[in-house]
Amino acid sequence: MSLAIQLEQVSKRFGSVQAVDEVSLELAEGSLCGFLGPNGAGKSTTIRMIMSIISPDSGVLRVLGGSALDNKDRIGYLPEERGLYRKMRVGEFLAYIAKLKGVHPTGLQHRINDWLERVQLPAVAKKRCEELSKGMQQKVQLLSALMHRPDLLILDEPYSGLDPLNSRLITELIREEQRRGATIIFSTHQMHTAEALCDRVLLINKGKKVLDANLSELRAQHDGRGIIVEPAGDPTAYMHAALAAGFAAHAESTEKGLVEIELREGIGGNDALQAALAAGACRTVSLRRLSLEDVFVQLVGGSVAELRGEGGSADV
Amino acid sequence: MSDSMKTGARKRSWWSRTRTISWREFKHTALTKAFFFGAIVVPMLMMGVLFLIPLMIDREAPPIVGTVAVIDPTGRVAAMAQHTIETEGDTGPFGDLPPEAKAQLDGMNSAMPQTPGAAGMLDAIDARSEIDLTWRVFAEDGKDGAPTLDALKNEVQSGDLIALVVVTALGANARATDAGASGLMMFVPTSASPKHQRLIGRAFENALQDARVQSLGIDDADFERVRNHPAAETFRISPAGDEASEIGEARMLIPAGFMFLMWISVFTSANQLLTSTIEEKSNKVMEVLLAAASPMQLLAGKIFGQALVSVIMLVMYGGAAIAGLTAASMNDLITPTDLVLFTLYFIMAYFMIATLMVAIGSAVSDLREAQSLVGPVMILLIIPIMLWLPISESPNGMLATIASFVPPGMPFIMILRVTAANEPVPLWQIIASLIWGYGAMFGMLWLGARIFRVGVLMQGKPPTPKELLKWAFVR
Repeated sequence: MSLAIQLEQVSKRFGSVQAVDEVSLELAEGSLCGFLGPNGAGKSTTIRMIMSIISPDSGVLRVLGGSALDNKDRIGYLPEERGLYRKMRVGEFLAYIAKLKGVHPTGLQHRINDWLERVQLPAVAKKRCEELSKGMQQKVQLLSALMHRPDLLILDEPYSGLDPLNSRLITELIREEQRRGATIIFSTHQMHTAEALCDRVLLINKGKKVLDANLSELRAQHDGRGIIVEPAGDPTAYMHAALAAGFAAHAESTEKGLVEIELREGIGGNDALQAALAAGACRTVSLRRLSLEDVFVQLVGGSVAELRGEGGSADV
Repeated sequence: MSDSMKTGARKRSWWSRTRTISWREFKHTALTKAFFFGAIVVPMLMMGVLFLIPLMIDREAPPIVGTVAVIDPTGRVAAMAQHTIETEGDTGPFGDLPPEAKAQLDGMNSAMPQTPGAAGMLDAIDARSEIDLTWRVFAEDGKDGAPTLDALKNEVQSGDLIALVVVTALGANARATDAGASGLMMFVPTSASPKHQRLIGRAFENALQDARVQSLGIDDADFERVRNHPAAETFRISPAGDEASEIGEARMLIPAGFMFLMWISVFTSANQLLTSTIEEKSNKVMEVLLAAASPMQLLAGKIFGQALVSVIMLVMYGGAAIAGLTAASMNDLITPTDLVLFTLYFIMAYFMIATLMVAIGSAVSDLREAQSLVGPVMILLIIPIMLWLPISESPNGMLATIASFVPPGMPFIMILRVTAANEPVPLWQIIASLIWGYGAMFGMLWLGARIFRVGVLMQGKPPTPKELLKWAFVR
């Protein structure tokens, strides 16, 4: 399978800050990859290097088999910083970017109107960009990345500032582009969106890659390592009983009266359920499925509980 | 074949993409109402107003109606002044000028017969006012039924008299008059027109002067002939052998015209480049553009687009200037060599200043931040304007020669020198300035492009000049 993006030991430093530190990545054509990381992790810098907007200090970078500079017309890019010419009319702006991307002027206006209707912005072609709301401006900018039907679509925070309806619309457009065969990589802080959309996630922190896995592999790796119990009695008493019973490596009570238990190594799901029932009276016992957000927080900044600061917790 | 190719996207050449950027830059500067009004309509209106002023002056000349009282112990001065006012009237504001200056103005007036606007303006400024005056002349105040001086002053104060003129007997005697003593006083009400004051005052001054001449026993006509200042009539013989009236001042204006034309055309576009680059950066549209074009394409597109704006201004104003010179039969003062050199120096000036401005625009986030970096550039640009007069008078002096080799002001200085026709600039200096200037221009382009490439993506506090230089060598 040919690769859409290939990074080998790519690094970039700004003064004393190591923005990207020997990041490697191979992204197959047609895949949809979520690019995750906390603020300042180096996502935008990596994306800008992929786009050849800035050059890496070291490492090898190939996009669509060559340099992004040579393949700019085959790439659609939505930068993190949203920007439009404030006084320019929407249709004029889209036509300008499309022409720069190599779209033939014949039938361009028709194509612009079609796209505007698809994102539920009919009749804004004649409006000046400054007259649009923030969400509308964002959709116009997304169109400027899509209109030339790119083979590679790079979206930096495509959901920021969008209401749920528009987020759903963007999701639908992204899925449609993937069905068309485009390779898509997008950065986001919305874990549930990445979880629902991506078949692969890449997580970087402090410039280093800390996770690069298919979502299915990730679930298999992390699922079943915890249970959630709703005790019939006092949650704190149940928490201590569970730790004393020996099947829990870590337990914590939540504000909702639940006890989240992290299982010791070697304890299977069925054994854990039986041990939980034996530790005290329970209303419900269920296996905990780790969300992408949990993985993110664990890999980037310690345990979920430490960050959330919810309830009490105890370790064995 | 990739899907994008199937759906109408085509691979664009370097120039094709640059052309698209240039066209947007040009369109959003030149094809706007602001440019149409600022660069075309307003200058045209100003020129129109220059032609309308004479008509307005002519119509607004107020009539002189009222009573003038004169205390004239000589018995001659009042009569002569009255005669002058009623027969010759106002000689206009230029009547105050020395005779040689008036002769020069007359020369300019006659040198421009084909430009009715300019000639008409001089005529109109010199227009006469309608005169309807009553004269009350007394040999001495307070005697033989004449009112006292205070009573006459009261009449001036109340507005019954438009002027009270007091002539002293000694003032009319040339030998008895102290140097510096005028021998003449005039009282006017607060509502008096300055034009009327000047008319009456000057008539009495001349009359008193004539009285002094008469007191010396010199014939008036002889005195007038002596007083008529000789002015050399200069004629310019063109290479074709035609003769035309020469106006030295106008010839000094031609180099200045060339320089200012270059300055305005270059600076207008360079300023547009500065603001449009800052706008693209502050609107965050820069990254969208950089995803579609390389920094060099963006830079080149912007500079070429604004160059077109600059050329349009040049053609418009330059065309108007050449038309004006042709109408005044002075087109022989501009040679084809001047035009060729002007074109070469204009290209040099434009690319130098445009590169500086676009580099500054890329390095800052808003216009306020740009001021600290634009300031030094503006000082460099103002130097040619400050040196206009000394260089026009001495185009081959040391100051002019040194300034001709200091970028970025050198193209402006060189065009001043080469079009100042009184002293040809040595050929080696022209060639050396072109070689050195174009070398400096390419150096500045390289430096500007390097700064632009880094600056457009930088945010935060504006860089110092040292940091700007550092950017030029960043990988």
